[in-house]
Amino acid sequence: MSLGRKIIIYTILIAISLTTLFPFLWMVSSSFKTMGEIFSLTPSFIPDNIFAEGMWDNYKAILQEYNFLRFIFNSFVVAGLAALGQLFTCSLGGFAFARMEFRFKEVIFALMLATMMMPIQVTIIPEYFIMLKLNWYNTYLPLIVPSMLIGSFGTFLLRSTFENMPSSMEEAAFIDGVSDWQMFYMVFLPNAKPALASLFIIAFMNNWNALLRPVIYIDKPDLYTITMGLAMFKGNYGTQWHLLLAGSVLSILPLLVVYMSMQKYFVRGMLTTGTKG
Amino acid sequence: MKYKKITPWLFLIPTLLGLIFFRLGPMLAAGLASFTRWNVFSPPEWIGFGNYIELFNSGTFQMILKNTFIFSGLFVPGVMAAALFLALLVNNKLRGMTFFRGLFYLPVITSVVSVGVIWSWILSPRFGLLYQLVNKFFDIARLPSFLGQPEYALYTLIFVYVWKMAGYQMILFLAGLQNIPQVYYEAATIDGASIWQKFRYITLPLLTPTTFFVLIISIIMSLKTFELTYIMTQGGPNYASTTLIYSIYVNAFKHFRMGFASAMSYILFIIVAVFTYLNFKFKKRWVHYSE
Repeated sequence: MSLGRKIIIYTILIAISLTTLFPFLWMVSSSFKTMGEIFSLTPSFIPDNIFAEGMWDNYKAILQEYNFLRFIFNSFVVAGLAALGQLFTCSLGGFAFARMEFRFKEVIFALMLATMMMPIQVTIIPEYFIMLKLNWYNTYLPLIVPSMLIGSFGTFLLRSTFENMPSSMEEAAFIDGVSDWQMFYMVFLPNAKPALASLFIIAFMNNWNALLRPVIYIDKPDLYTITMGLAMFKGNYGTQWHLLLAGSVLSILPLLVVYMSMQKYFVRGMLTTGTKG
Repeated sequence: MKYKKITPWLFLIPTLLGLIFFRLGPMLAAGLASFTRWNVFSPPEWIGFGNYIELFNSGTFQMILKNTFIFSGLFVPGVMAAALFLALLVNNKLRGMTFFRGLFYLPVITSVVSVGVIWSWILSPRFGLLYQLVNKFFDIARLPSFLGQPEYALYTLIFVYVWKMAGYQMILFLAGLQNIPQVYYEAATIDGASIWQKFRYITLPLLTPTTFFVLIISIIMSLKTFELTYIMTQGGPNYASTTLIYSIYVNAFKHFRMGFASAMSYILFIIVAVFTYLNFKFKKRWVHYSE
């Protein structure tokens, strides 16, 4: 490739990177500013109080006074349990679809795929009444249970993972006389770790970012998830941008850390959702 | 050497519970509910097609449908063009491409709520970042309020959502691009084809299956956009940015018109079902195409 072309490509790449990064960077910088500084008519990228007294004031306020510490904890519980639950549901289901023969197998699998793309708004009204009947309103259960039991994508992902493993593995284990559960848990599951990691990350991310179910099922502030807490804060104190932006940074941070450390699994998982879903 | 007959059913218990109680059952129930007048406080009352008739006679609903079509109609080509452009860029074999891929993917992993917060702030009138920057460099007296004025709100949402999601479609296109055998390009280079000719006569046609798939995914994605509307405009001002999916939420959980909202959710159901069907139908065809 000619040098001229390389320069053009890098220039475009950097320009787009700025478009992508600029809002985030400016948000991080502003999350340290005082309200007055944010509304200043001559904005500067570097906050006045950086590495100085009061640098963390916004974060302290949002975490303690506005309860964001609790929201973050709630989100970890909800997203973590829902993602673990999905691993359980999807690996069992995926294993059955991949390795076993049973009646209605194709029908069940087709129904699962067919309903995969349906937005939850289509099912949310009857679901709401199920939750009311179960007395699950204002608990974490409506945020966890449906999500952990509906893992069409994950089941699909794990089905293809288990399908691609050699039958020789299975035959050898049968000769050793393992039970069906041992076959799943001790022979196949340890070999599916990369797929499980992808699924966990994606399920965690989706649940961390979810908004509709928390908004509908939770109205006790102590139970808010971080996204809901952020949405409510914006509704109630919409002009306090310094706090709102600090909260927004906090809501992104955990996912960012996971993303940076496990980018490989992220992208692979997303690819499978896409190209095979 | 076989699994016990009962084992698959035991293994499928969680999957089946989810499928029955949170997917198929509610879909059926929503269909029935759409023929009733029903608020939370009194039992449902059968009114036949009453809700549907009311919907299609309502000016607001026509506006909501129009908004939904505008949203999908602009979001889908916008996000696809942006994503294809990004994918072509990061598909170059140059140093640092993994870094750029990761970077362009960043908005996808951040929550819609925080993206909504960031852009609400950038676009907030008078003190928002955009206004400050524009005022700093150009002497424009007043920019419009992009979220507060009905003529701009919907388009602003579309723009922000394209900005957020393009990285996702980029990854899908990238996978498609990497499946195109290099030999075609090498042969074309020998024949003296220009970059544009290679794109037009090799990349585009061989990318068709991916493109079609991305199209379907993007359409469904556009129909599902709820969070961004919730956080940025709440459907306003005056329904200007209300789409079908947002309206379901408002009617069900703000006005508690469960039957009416179910009718809307059924209209959404039918639209999504059509696209899901198209996806399945054409996917089978691609297998022949690529083999």
